[in-house]
Amino acid sequence: MATDSYIPKFQRIDYKDVETLRKFLNPHGKIMSRRRTGLSAANQRALAQAIKRARFMALLPYIVR
Amino acid sequence: MVEKSQVNETLTQAIDGQAVYEVGFHVVPNLSDEAVVAVVEKIRQALGDAEIISEQVPQRMTLAYTIERADSGKREKFTESYFGVIKFATSPDATPALSEKLRGMQDVLRYLLIETVREEVGTPRRAVFSSNRLEGETIKKPVVEEKSKPVSEEDLDKTIEAIVA
Repeated sequence: MATDSYIPKFQRIDYKDVETLRKFLNPHGKIMSRRRTGLSAANQRALAQAIKRARFMALLPYIVR
Repeated sequence: MVEKSQVNETLTQAIDGQAVYEVGFHVVPNLSDEAVVAVVEKIRQALGDAEIISEQVPQRMTLAYTIERADSGKREKFTESYFGVIKFATSPDATPALSEKLRGMQDVLRYLLIETVREEVGTPRRAVFSSNRLEGETIKKPVVEEKSKPVSEEDLDKTIEAIVA
């Protein structure tokens, strides 16, 4: 779906950017696998970190039923 | 790898032992606009002499899930809040005290203190062209003309035989 050029530097992944983060969640609200996102290992770690922060701050849901 | 280390150096900018932090916080929704401003002012005071880099005024938002909080034997439920952000630079030793102060604030529903970079993250993406010169021009494939050699009768017969055989 996305490649590294989509997010050029992992420093740019921000937990407040909910619109972007949503693209990397499946319909249940789970984080997509690296295989599916096509991100580098560093970017995937940053993405997971950002999503977890957004969940804690109730910007994203933990689960979607 | 060289590129990445350069990026890290330029982004972390530790100026005389200071680091850049960002605190995101939810203010309880049952407050008036003036009271919310007062809460932000309280947080600013808690920061002490930290250099404030940027600030996002708390805005009312719907939470992704209901936050429950046990308050003096009662359970409060929140589905909305005012969400604000303050980015600042301070010494790493000052952050535990700040966390403690934020935890003690009754009007702050939840907060998140993270280390970040001075530059604004999540800047809008722009289309990058490798060369502006080529923009709007049709690139034509170079035409290579093949020179056909005169074919002798013998060669022609050979190839025909090869095909037929």
